[in-house]
Amino acid sequence: MRQRSLIAITAALAAGALTLTACGSRDSGDKGSDSDNGGSTVVIGVDAPLTGDLSAMGLGIKNSADLAVRNANKQKLVKGVTFKIEALDDQKQPSQGQQNATKLVADSNVLGVVGPLNSSVAESMQKVFDDAKLVEVSPANTGPALTQGANWQTKKVRPYKSYFRTATTDAIQGPFAAQYVFNTAKKKKVFVIDDKKTYGAGLAGTFTEEFKKLGGKVVGTEHINPDTTDFSAVATKVKNSGADVVYYGGEYPQAGPLSKQIKAAGAKIPLVGGDGINDATYGKLAGPEATGDLATSVGAPVESLPSAKQFVSDYKAAGYKDEFSAYGGYSYDSAWAIIEAVKKVVEDNGGKLPSDARAKVTAAMQNVSFDGVTGKVSFDEFGDATNKQLTVYAVKNGAFTAVKSGTFTG
Amino acid sequence: MSGIGPLEPGEGTRAWDGRRPEDTRPPGRTRAALTAWYARHRRVTIALAAAAVALAGGGYLYATRPHRPPPREDRAHAQVPYPAQVVDMTYLDGRTTPAGAPPRSFSFAVLLSVTSGPPVTVTRVTQPYAGLSLNSEPPVPFRTRSGSARKVTITMHVTECEKAPKNAGLPFLDVTLRNTRAIQVQSYILGPRYAQDLSHALQVACSNKVR
Repeated sequence: MRQRSLIAITAALAAGALTLTACGSRDSGDKGSDSDNGGSTVVIGVDAPLTGDLSAMGLGIKNSADLAVRNANKQKLVKGVTFKIEALDDQKQPSQGQQNATKLVADSNVLGVVGPLNSSVAESMQKVFDDAKLVEVSPANTGPALTQGANWQTKKVRPYKSYFRTATTDAIQGPFAAQYVFNTAKKKKVFVIDDKKTYGAGLAGTFTEEFKKLGGKVVGTEHINPDTTDFSAVATKVKNSGADVVYYGGEYPQAGPLSKQIKAAGAKIPLVGGDGINDATYGKLAGPEATGDLATSVGAPVESLPSAKQFVSDYKAAGYKDEFSAYGGYSYDSAWAIIEAVKKVVEDNGGKLPSDARAKVTAAMQNVSFDGVTGKVSFDEFGDATNKQLTVYAVKNGAFTAVKSGTFTG
Repeated sequence: MSGIGPLEPGEGTRAWDGRRPEDTRPPGRTRAALTAWYARHRRVTIALAAAAVALAGGGYLYATRPHRPPPREDRAHAQVPYPAQVVDMTYLDGRTTPAGAPPRSFSFAVLLSVTSGPPVTVTRVTQPYAGLSLNSEPPVPFRTRSGSARKVTITMHVTECEKAPKNAGLPFLDVTLRNTRAIQVQSYILGPRYAQDLSHALQVACSNKVR
């Protein structure tokens, strides 16, 4: 009898404990969007490289946009509207990006798009979206011409009213890197390498211009083919040039092996790059000798932003398999900007989506303003983020660690 | 959250030091009645006891659930923003160089504002270029309260013209900020107007006509 009593008591206790555990657990298993409330469904498109060597960043963009949608639905932020995402893989190819843009335009439920990652892909998508008055908010494009026109250095002209971005531009990132390399790291002779793409060549250009203005010397330049990982010939040139630093305009899948091969060639000098190399994968590809390599990135370090801490915690709780990577916070804010614009349009139209919702959402985006993961989110007359913060990271123990932050207030 | 409480007994739940000795009193009327009731309703008694234990155990687990808020000091600390996140610094314009400044000096004004949180103290203002030194008015350290702005006049002195950046595209000031949360060095990139004014001032200062 005593045994039976014990079993009964233990069972009751276990039941109580399980009930309480269930009460306290987070709903991390809540995948997808709830669309059972009988209202409208608004689709937010996502375009990023979801496969291939840039997928670490692309999946971070997709998941972070998804998290924004989940939170908006959970909060019932827009009455009568359920958001969902439609994520397409551009494989970092401009042609695929354009096809994706056409596909998203064809779906009338799509009222905004988050993406893309690559500036070169953005160039191929902008007109397609603009013709359809479909708003696009990139979390990652840093090419200045996308918002300020091809002649941005002499006369800024906004080419597309439907294009916005939450990341700052290489017009600031390149010079900021040059200032750090020249003044703080005290490097005076640079070898500049790029991958010939819009982002890489553009960033290398803005870095070089400022480095020279400061009195630095460019002792060599080279272009690499991003489809290969054998850079031994370039590494030898770097070694023979007498450079005390290498600047690379491009992304981490090439930057990692390039750094490793330059050091292996005997040039024990740091490689410096932009936000495109600021990924955890870089340290793995570049190896232990990468300690001291530098990357600038858009935004302030996550640990200095209380709002970002909530995002990091929510992201973990949601159970995504991939890291949110360099653009997670910006992707969340990009999606949230679209959600805020939709909210404004719905509220101004008596609680319903108007028939010309796309045009109205695009117009509303210009005045969107909220406290996001990355700080205050709003846009200037070119569609650029008004929050222009940058951070220099250095590789320590195989990972990028923040060493200096700056704010553009011009 | 695991839902499992601490292994150690909590306050007020400490176990007795030893077993209480068996009660040697002869059973009274009440006890005899209870024993008889228990014999008749054994299952009900066990079920009631189990429910009571479950409630008590559940209550204990709930009260000792792991997401207790951190101590007040930590919470308050976490809510204080980092100083760099609440300070804005914008370029105003060139200013008259104070009398008594050494030759090859020039001045300009910036507006420093604190948007929220506790007061922020500027403990240092520097610029990163060789060949230049600077001081500020008001001199560091100075404190600015949340919701207010302060005009700061920066006077730069060219120490070596050859090393001064005569054409920097995006020059900045390094400002050390302190509040109750942290001390941070933040670079304020003051934009193209500041870059032009700085370049012009450096060219004038380093021309042959020394004032």
